[in-house]
Amino acid sequence: MSDEIFAAAIEAIEKGDAEKAAEIVRLGLDRGIDGMELLNKGFVPGINKVGDLFGEGRLFLPELMMSATAMQKVTDLLNAGFPEGKMKTRGKVLLGTVEGDLHDIGKTIVAALFKANGFEVLDLGRDVSVKRFIEEAENFGADIIGTSALLTTTMTVQKELQEELKRSGLKDKYKTMVGGAPVTRRWADRIGADAYAEDAGEGVRKALELLKK
Amino acid sequence: MGGLRTAGDLVGWMQIVRKMKINEAKQYVAKKLGVDVIDLTNEEVIRSVREDLGIGVVTSVAGSPKGIRAKIKIAELLDIHINSVDLFLSQVR
Amino acid sequence: MMYGHKYALLSKKQKKKQKNKSFVGVQGAVFQKSPLAAGGNNMSDKIFIRMGDGERVKLSTAEIKEDISVGTMDAARRGRIPEMTPEEQEQLFEILADPARVVGVSPGEEVIVTDDGCSMSFYSGQDGGGVGIPMSRLQAILTYERACGADTTSMGHSDYSYKPVKPIINFEMNEYYTCSMMTTVPFFYGAQPNMGLYFQPDGPCPDPAELLLTGKIKEARQSQEEACAHLRKDLVFVGKKLAGVGCEGLNFDTCGSAGDADFLAALLALRELRREIPQMPVIMGSSGEFVIGMHGEVTFDGQRLAGMYPHEQVKVVEAAGAGIYGMAVNTNTGKSTAWNLSRAVTFCKAAVEAAQIPVHVNVGMGVGGVPMMEQPPIDSVSRVSKSLVQIGKADGL
Repeated sequence: MSDEIFAAAIEAIEKGDAEKAAEIVRLGLDRGIDGMELLNKGFVPGINKVGDLFGEGRLFLPELMMSATAMQKVTDLLNAGFPEGKMKTRGKVLLGTVEGDLHDIGKTIVAALFKANGFEVLDLGRDVSVKRFIEEAENFGADIIGTSALLTTTMTVQKELQEELKRSGLKDKYKTMVGGAPVTRRWADRIGADAYAEDAGEGVRKALELLKK
Repeated sequence: MGGLRTAGDLVGWMQIVRKMKINEAKQYVAKKLGVDVIDLTNEEVIRSVREDLGIGVVTSVAGSPKGIRAKIKIAELLDIHINSVDLFLSQVR
Repeated sequence: MMYGHKYALLSKKQKKKQKNKSFVGVQGAVFQKSPLAAGGNNMSDKIFIRMGDGERVKLSTAEIKEDISVGTMDAARRGRIPEMTPEEQEQLFEILADPARVVGVSPGEEVIVTDDGCSMSFYSGQDGGGVGIPMSRLQAILTYERACGADTTSMGHSDYSYKPVKPIINFEMNEYYTCSMMTTVPFFYGAQPNMGLYFQPDGPCPDPAELLLTGKIKEARQSQEEACAHLRKDLVFVGKKLAGVGCEGLNFDTCGSAGDADFLAALLALRELRREIPQMPVIMGSSGEFVIGMHGEVTFDGQRLAGMYPHEQVKVVEAAGAGIYGMAVNTNTGKSTAWNLSRAVTFCKAAVEAAQIPVHVNVGMGVGGVPMMEQPPIDSVSRVSKSLVQIGKADGL
């Protein structure tokens, strides 16, 4: 019986059906399934499937956002039933495209997938200065600062952010992630970023790894 | 393929104007030039063919056709319409 | 190398030993097999290969063959297309393992290279991959044509987008006309549709990225549809103006960079231009291995564009009337050239088989198996080019 509910949970998330997902949460809890089990065996595999389908071009951004909304509804409902703190978000992520760079489609996809995976996301948009990244991270209480750059001429701003974090004594306070077409793992290593991600899906995995450390 | 050094531009014209796949384009050009397909990239053969036909060679030979003058000949040779050639001819005739 | 007459002097035992390490070429010449061709995988068999970020590493024969196999499987699964055959995989391995720094196809197998802004690299800066030589556009175009032996050449706006061309169209028409009188090889006007420029604050339409993230899906789609209409109009406007000064061909480069509605605008403009100005060819290139579904529902001739892979993209590009389809396959910087190139060849083969028109593969920085770096290494670029032509059967690059 539980398996049917887990399968229905996966389907509800895949279809981005928030009402159905909420119904499944209630049904599962009524039948005595543990909330965490419901999440880990039903809804999380569902959102992982959505991420994979998106990465393969079989599911699209609007649908991804509908799945993210459904997932948010699920976590809100389950959260209400847990002792305080047990179901807190997976982390706070501040995202933005660096100053001088107007490309924000890739970064938007990253933001959507992070949201879908239970992160609290603050997306600063594009053309974001180093100063603003730091100010907003402080106000937001970010765990991770993620920067995107699509040009070889703007990726240097990612390095400036690292230097500014060091100068202001905040380097250890935040984990930093970098991405964007010309950005590579070696660039991340060179500038001292904590992680590099090839795409949005890898970004989520790397963020989870970073926050475990 | 080598552009003006060989017959790369001519094969290019056939792909762009007539949507020919590479082998068809090469065969078409080779036939028009009277050479074997394998010689389309043979500088030693194509240089003299281009000189004889007046369709432009890669080095700068004083007084020999280049640019629009060569393109008029290319359009005639390959039996294709080239927009710039059509415009030019409409202006001089 | 050991030539025939020396081989004849060896004892039977020596010949047998030699045969295992060599093969007989034309006219009896005996060549030493490269360690990798012999199929071994001990430390001495390690082969230099690039990672997707350009790093040069040494991998064993077995590791490279594994990457080729996994790469073609990945492309086949994603695109729902056939994998490379074992023979093709072996052929790819041989190309990658060739000890020469630069490799190439055999005489008679050469293909043409279409220019997508190469001459701009002479005078542009780092952001255009350029070397910053102070020279005019005409000088750059002619240098590319005559000093580099280019098969085709082109010019375009420095921003390489169509939208900024509109207010300076008369300037561009003058430049194009002047240059076209001097060039001999096919000469295009090229730029990217780049629909992103039609969203606020750069353009009139609300930013769909912001709308989507706040759950306003309907509004995000509406905004993209409006931007698509603006873009289509501008592409047609620029195309018609240039046709009036004898444009030999238009290049819609990197289509779909802002998603499926961007791709649609290019297709619609292409069809309109071909219908109204049939004497001006248009070539259309893609921005990635599948069309990103930012909208998700736009269609062309009843077919949803989002998620289309190269073998599907080429059919709509063909139906719209393009002369050449340019395909792009994303390079993964964390994987080897073997993995990346295996995918690119698999996608290429399927697209070429599906196409009635020529298919040219983008082999620039970070696409087609070429490593993502500003100065793509020539060993990788030449291996990528050879593989895509010989195995992928590309009509051009």
